[in-house]
Amino acid sequence: MRSQFLLPGGLLAIAALGALALIFPGAAAQASSTSKTLSASVKACGSVNLKGVTTTYNSGNPFASTNLKCSDGMVIHYGNNSITYVNPPASYAATGKLLFDQTCSSCHGSEANGVAPNGQATIGPNLQGVGAATIDFWITTGRMPATDVAAIEAERKTPRLNDKQALQVAAYINSLDPSVPAVPLPNLRGADLADGASLFALNCAACHTITGAGDALAFGTNAPSLENRQVTPQQVAEAIRIGPANMPRFSGNLSDTQVRDLVAYVTEKIQHPSNPGGAGLGGVGPVAEGFVALLLGVGGLALICFWIGERS
Amino acid sequence: MSEDVSEHEPSRTKVPMPIATLSDPHLGDAAKNPARTESLIALILLVGIVMIAGFGAAYWQNWNPWIIGGTMGAGLFLLGFGLTAWGKYLMPQGPFVEERHVLASSPEERDSMAAALVERSAVVVKRRKLLGGLFALGSGIFGIVAIFPLLRSLGPVPGTSLDRTQWRKGSVLVDSNGRTVNAGTLVVGGIMTVFPKGLQNTPEGQAIDQTVLVRVQSTDLVTAKGRETWAPKGYVAYSKVCTHLGCPVGLYEQQLELLVCPCHQSMFNVRNGAIPQFGPAPRPLPQLPLHFDDEGNLAAQAGFDQAVGPGFFERTTTKENGT
Amino acid sequence: MSETLPTAKSKRQALGPYGRVGKVVGELDDRLGVAKGGRVFLDKIFPDHWSFMLGEIALYSFVVLIATGVFLALYFVPSTNQIIYHGTYVPLRGQPVSEAYGSTVNISFGVRGGLLVRQMHHWAADIFVGSIVVHMARVFFTGAFRKPRELNWTIGTLMLILAVLEGFIGYSLPDDLISGTGLRIGYSIAESIPFVGSYLVSFLWGGTFPGNVIIKRFYLIHVFIIPLVLFGLLAAHLGLLVRQKHTQFKGEGRTETNVVGSPMFPTFMAKTTGFLFMVAGVTALLGAFAQINPIWQFGSYNPSKISYAVQPDWYMGWLDGALRIMPSWEFAGWGHTVPLEVFLPAVIFPGLIFNIAFIWPAFERRWTGDNELHNLLDRPRDRPKRTAAGAAMLALLFTLFAASSTDVLANYFHVSLNEVLWAFRILTIVVPVIVGFVTYGICREMQGVQGIGKRKRAVVVHRSAQGEYSTVTAAPRPGDAREELDPEPVPVRIDIAPLSAASPSASGESSPTGSRQVSR
Repeated sequence: MRSQFLLPGGLLAIAALGALALIFPGAAAQASSTSKTLSASVKACGSVNLKGVTTTYNSGNPFASTNLKCSDGMVIHYGNNSITYVNPPASYAATGKLLFDQTCSSCHGSEANGVAPNGQATIGPNLQGVGAATIDFWITTGRMPATDVAAIEAERKTPRLNDKQALQVAAYINSLDPSVPAVPLPNLRGADLADGASLFALNCAACHTITGAGDALAFGTNAPSLENRQVTPQQVAEAIRIGPANMPRFSGNLSDTQVRDLVAYVTEKIQHPSNPGGAGLGGVGPVAEGFVALLLGVGGLALICFWIGERS
Repeated sequence: MSEDVSEHEPSRTKVPMPIATLSDPHLGDAAKNPARTESLIALILLVGIVMIAGFGAAYWQNWNPWIIGGTMGAGLFLLGFGLTAWGKYLMPQGPFVEERHVLASSPEERDSMAAALVERSAVVVKRRKLLGGLFALGSGIFGIVAIFPLLRSLGPVPGTSLDRTQWRKGSVLVDSNGRTVNAGTLVVGGIMTVFPKGLQNTPEGQAIDQTVLVRVQSTDLVTAKGRETWAPKGYVAYSKVCTHLGCPVGLYEQQLELLVCPCHQSMFNVRNGAIPQFGPAPRPLPQLPLHFDDEGNLAAQAGFDQAVGPGFFERTTTKENGT
Repeated sequence: MSETLPTAKSKRQALGPYGRVGKVVGELDDRLGVAKGGRVFLDKIFPDHWSFMLGEIALYSFVVLIATGVFLALYFVPSTNQIIYHGTYVPLRGQPVSEAYGSTVNISFGVRGGLLVRQMHHWAADIFVGSIVVHMARVFFTGAFRKPRELNWTIGTLMLILAVLEGFIGYSLPDDLISGTGLRIGYSIAESIPFVGSYLVSFLWGGTFPGNVIIKRFYLIHVFIIPLVLFGLLAAHLGLLVRQKHTQFKGEGRTETNVVGSPMFPTFMAKTTGFLFMVAGVTALLGAFAQINPIWQFGSYNPSKISYAVQPDWYMGWLDGALRIMPSWEFAGWGHTVPLEVFLPAVIFPGLIFNIAFIWPAFERRWTGDNELHNLLDRPRDRPKRTAAGAAMLALLFTLFAASSTDVLANYFHVSLNEVLWAFRILTIVVPVIVGFVTYGICREMQGVQGIGKRKRAVVVHRSAQGEYSTVTAAPRPGDAREELDPEPVPVRIDIAPLSAASPSASGESSPTGSRQVSR
């Protein structure tokens, strides 16, 4: 197994290839358009065939939780002391269907299954079986309905449907193919911020940065800033459990208590940085610090030199 | 009267330099209104003193760091500003002139120095060559030998330490809290960091054995020859130590199925053996062969297929010893 | 003869015409013989141009670093032993941290004024390296490195290298997540050196990464070894400056064989001491109001954790940028590996840059054939090729520095990260070339223009009744007079003759020789 060995004359090749630079990232930038929805679903309360949900510890598995409630074969709520997962009431589904038909069906298909009337695939993925938390997250953060379908990732913006309407749509989707996770309601009292900080460094900082400032990822994708105070604890918990867009999905590898601690850390510490040392300089670290040191520090002192000395 | 030029420059013509008297404007104030300038500087110094006193109070009362620092900084700055302004506006600016001494010595002195070196060392060379040579040799040998305690005592030789990790056949995968991994732990699109059981809290375990476990759709995997059984149920494990410069490759984009190293943005495709797709990393992340053991926990079939981490001179591409 | 009690007047007369000061001078001179040299020292002339003070920024930042560094060293614990944090910062409570990290958090939150001093130390370090670079640029562009000052240029370049190393080691001491990642990268860079790399890192780190000795060793290097060497080099640097005297720009009365400016005492001493206070003040204000390196947010270093957007401090940014844009060439064969994608940008390239700096005086001597002593400075425009070369070098370093923030730039401008990286691969080659040519052109243009850079008098445009235009230089208005328009004053020699011992005069009359007798 031999790696390529190019002579430094390859530097000239780079300059020539530079003209092709715009093609190269374009060619490889085709983001996968396959959806990552759960294909299995909660068949009925009492069934244990949950594809991809751990049975080891409390991690969003209804059947391993302490307060599971079912009714008419539908999961009402489950969870434990740290997080309670609640499905929107089935009565919401009727209004939800109307909202869905108006707002979502043009991209996701009239059956929410990603299939257009002519049998082709729609732009939006199959939503059947994604779970109420997924629908609630995408709508309450304003990412859906998407306004720029050509963008590689839908951006957070002002939501078009309010929180209740989001739940209504979620109820409708859930009625088509009931699934998990349900909408998580984290209980922040008793959260361990130190545990949250440690988990954040291990699981989240690699994309969102250790200060939660967010940053650009590969091929035009990005990890959004978590310092935005409009992000609610519910949305943080949803994002962790559902793994929206390119964010990984944390299921059995994080218990509900760990997710709760993370949510507390993000909403308390990341969103309200104390910055005891002074101005935070954007939380991007040495890049900004370097500019301040050179422009304000050296520059300011050089201006003072300009005053003290003579000019010729 | 002191001389205008140095004694050592007979070739220089003596430049008559005008001499300043105390009433000379060169010794006077640069300020147009010295009295007003003095009052202004006095005011600045006074405010500086107040600031310093404030600094004292802020420190004594343990106020916020920015008050302690702000008063100290402002006080120091104003005191300095006042002193500098005094120097610039109320002290003699000149311009005054000073002759440079010729740096070089006279040709006679130079010859004398060279002669002393040459003639006296001739004494050594002609008469005591053997002694001089022996001493030089001894010093040289000592210099070389002395490097050893300076360097060698600092640490061990690397040996095979860079070639292998602690992963062995049957090593059980655990997370940072020591919990094992079973078939339901991750869903497709999930990622976690794992270590060999028992080593999750040791610095070396974290530094060298750290492994990233990702779950992808089994049908998405493109397995290389000989690696067909390495990724059961879509669980695929790669060394987390980037092959570029050793940063933990913790950034995973699940839709792109790309592991990105946060340090210099090398991008590894998890579908086909973590081959680098972009960025400076030269080699794929070594893959850990997995299987589910009798208790249903994920364990390693063997160690990594090659040395993990960045390249080094002795690195070969042969198998890591540890099957 | 009866003894009389000494009166005030007789005491004064016994002291001599210069009073107590004269007595002290006499006592010191009896023991040290300092009077003659001291007088010369007091009369020492310093050229006044503002750009000559840039080195003082570096000097006084160094003083601030020593002062703040001593404070920090009193509380810092250079150990990687794990302890459980029990301090005031809640998100760390109960977590295992290294003692180095824990003591740094303690300095920040538990020691009164500790956070301020920590931040002052870090800001002063950034300013220290920045001012060295700016000072070095001034010396380069004005040709002050030429004979006889080549040795001082070499010493200065050495100090720059040491300052950069000292800064890197310094911010790695707290053993936090981000600087620890930098250490891992440093380890891998050293490891990439052919033949000796793996041995070097095993010796330095006392084994495999991370080991438990590196913080201890870095501590000794940071607080003792490098400061000691820097002190020595600084003494040599300033000593050479005193011996060879400072250079100066051309101007009225300024020649190759004199120095024109203001005297050491009292003027220069006042200005430079004031400047010391101002540098300290600016550093304190930055340390008070701008947060830098908030290590409590990062957590103690854990080799399996990482953050995104982890650029090193700015003076290492050019290396980080070089590492990012380098293609992934690695040579592997005959049982060995040479990671060129690391070795070239991180070892060979900086070695090349610093070696260019070291040999530049000799290179320029050869290139221009100029082996003369130079005490007068060039204006940058007088040497277009040198200025263009220096500008191109600075442009290269700046482009690489910008290349280290590809992710931050991609995020800010909403552009694909991959495209930003490719853009920098091209810019790194193209920008220095363009900057070099443009700078050369600007210098040549400026050389051709009379009175360039000087403030000009306003011109009044008259139109006659016949429609002709003519211009008249405007009369000076109050406040118009500037140094550039008024003739520069002729420099004089400062010399106030000492009193003749025979007659201490009571009045201040000017004697015909022009020397003044000081009254007491």
